[in-house]
Amino acid sequence: MLKTAMCCSALAIMCAGAAQAEPLQVALVETLSGSQASTGLLYRTAAQYGIAKINAAGGFRGEPIKFVEYDSQGGPVGAADRVKAAIADGARVILQGSSSSVAGQISEDVRKYNLRNKGKEVLYLNLGGEALELTGEKCHFHVIRTSPNAAIRFQTLTKGMKELGLMGDKVYSINQNYSWGVDVQSIIKANAETVGYTVVGETLHEVNKIQDFSPYVAQIQQSGADTVLTGNWSNDLLLLMKAAADAKLKVRFGTSFLDQPGNIGNAGSVAEGNVMSAPFNPELNDATKAFAEDYKAKTGHYPAYVEPYAVFGMDMFAAALKSLDDATGPVSANEIVLALENTKIETPVGSLSIRAEDHQAEMPMIIQEVSKEAAFKVDGTEYGFKPLKVYTGADSADPVQATCKMKRPG
Amino acid sequence: MEQIVFALLNGVIYGLLLFMVSAGLTLIFGMMGVLNFAHASFYMVGAYLAYTLQPVTGFWLAIILAPLLVAGLGIFVERFVLRRVHAYGHAHELLVTFGLSVVIAEVIKMFYGNFPVDYSVPSDLNFSAFALGGMEYPFYRLFMGGVAVVMFAVLYLMLTRTRVGIVVRAAIYRPRMVEALGHNVPMVFMAIFGIGAFLAGLAGAIAGAFYTTNPNMALELGVVVFVVVVVGGLGSMEGAMLASIIIGVMNSLAVGVNVSLADVLARVGLGDWARETGGILTLQLSSLAATLPFFLMLLVLLVRPSGLLGEKE
Repeated sequence: MLKTAMCCSALAIMCAGAAQAEPLQVALVETLSGSQASTGLLYRTAAQYGIAKINAAGGFRGEPIKFVEYDSQGGPVGAADRVKAAIADGARVILQGSSSSVAGQISEDVRKYNLRNKGKEVLYLNLGGEALELTGEKCHFHVIRTSPNAAIRFQTLTKGMKELGLMGDKVYSINQNYSWGVDVQSIIKANAETVGYTVVGETLHEVNKIQDFSPYVAQIQQSGADTVLTGNWSNDLLLLMKAAADAKLKVRFGTSFLDQPGNIGNAGSVAEGNVMSAPFNPELNDATKAFAEDYKAKTGHYPAYVEPYAVFGMDMFAAALKSLDDATGPVSANEIVLALENTKIETPVGSLSIRAEDHQAEMPMIIQEVSKEAAFKVDGTEYGFKPLKVYTGADSADPVQATCKMKRPG
Repeated sequence: MEQIVFALLNGVIYGLLLFMVSAGLTLIFGMMGVLNFAHASFYMVGAYLAYTLQPVTGFWLAIILAPLLVAGLGIFVERFVLRRVHAYGHAHELLVTFGLSVVIAEVIKMFYGNFPVDYSVPSDLNFSAFALGGMEYPFYRLFMGGVAVVMFAVLYLMLTRTRVGIVVRAAIYRPRMVEALGHNVPMVFMAIFGIGAFLAGLAGAIAGAFYTTNPNMALELGVVVFVVVVVGGLGSMEGAMLASIIIGVMNSLAVGVNVSLADVLARVGLGDWARETGGILTLQLSSLAATLPFFLMLLVLLVRPSGLLGEKE
């Protein structure tokens, strides 16, 4: 754990008044305790890693960045409250990633705050909320998504699986019933004709409430599907795969979040051959290997699940700040946003940039499968993720949504 | 036809699993009047202990030892925590067990981390029991169901056919009288709490391998188990069995029903209007499967507040 960048919030308020040149304050608003904490804690690790890198390189305008963590304890309500507190404490940048529903709340809160507080705008860096509306109808100037979205994930996944011959003719779509899962389902259906498969069944179910997936597996079996596409994460993915294996269902899973820690360890051989589309794979090249090793040296584990692209998002942020570094005094959120729009960086996987029209990041996506041949094994098993195909940022990008009507300042 | 047989079988066995956990909860409530919020935590502890013991002792010994350890934990909790709080009334007991469930969850996270641990069904038990219409049925599910049925039979016989059972049942209604007759009532309560914890631990040890063993498993199952106990009638063992099976089967059947309110309204010619209105009218029943038990609970509380087979007013 990186303790250096951490600063307790009460102390932060007190020393903020005393400091001469006001340092840039960045707030992480995440679920850090309770039952949903596991993903939030990964975002924290990645954000701490990113901030530590910026501060090690001299900080911003001669001051180390002040990094403060706020525990939103689960849902959007807690997050809204913490965002208010963070802004009151002087934060100019909000980081968050672990849930699309929370991301939607923070995005709206930031938009309203900025409307009412001209000249004191706040930037929300969305590190991982992937629902389409966040760069669609909810898009605005002060929110930037550095992660992929539902369209990027599932367009690359379906195209990639087809080209690699891993896609069957009959596809079953099973997803969680909220913004993200609904998006995934509509993309799976929309792509059926262009990619070339038939959707033989679709299910939306409650999020992380179901213990027993065997009735759903029976539905899949009945439909005669040979491929199951799902945006499920956490228990909903794991239990679904286990239930399918128990019923000896012969299908291939196409997923987006299969690399969550514990998944492969728990599913074991059941997961072999299943496919995932994600923005990172450690064995891709020397740079990704070096990044994986450095991350492990600093945090104790290889970057997995949401961590790699959260780190790349932080790298993007660092590069934007660097371009603003030669001035003095405080920086405005507008300046950072404009800098981010004009920044293009080379991450270990390839180039990463932010599209000015809707503030969606464009990044390479890697189609990968669970295999014994992978160089980096996960969860102490003999399995890992073997890269099969890389889509560049331009190839994986989805068109700007018509619903995004961004009002630019000035 | 095969579909329905499978759905029923799936539902019954999931129901039996619910029963294994709710049996202890309803037993403890029936005997002691304590609604034990930490009960589902015992289920989780059972799973984690079995996972820890398995490499050393093997699967079979692990699923016997783990519940025994959980029973020990339960007895400890009753003797040194609940009994002290008992004098202050039910609200305090409730709060103590709630606090305990939070503490147990955090301790588990400290030792085993935030993500599911690698606890799964041993390979020699991982085979299909039978196949029907191209679908195979895992043996382990039948095993889970079998354990629950045996458990129910043993408990039922113990409570209704033995001297111990007579003392226990008497201790619920007239604790002072039973004490006056020379029985050690606090000891009886402690034993009951231990048995309740044992049952939850056993369910955890067995089901943890089949589903997943993660720090949220208590929370996920805990809510449904409360619903089972309320629907069945607080304190009623038979009620818990009945409610578990109803909820399990309902869950399983609802998944296959792709009907929305709009389809129902279409029968009376309002289909197009309903589909245009959207919202709740086009919500399919299958996507509500996991919410149905709560509707059932609401219904039972409105119509028969004491639960299906509950006796207490």
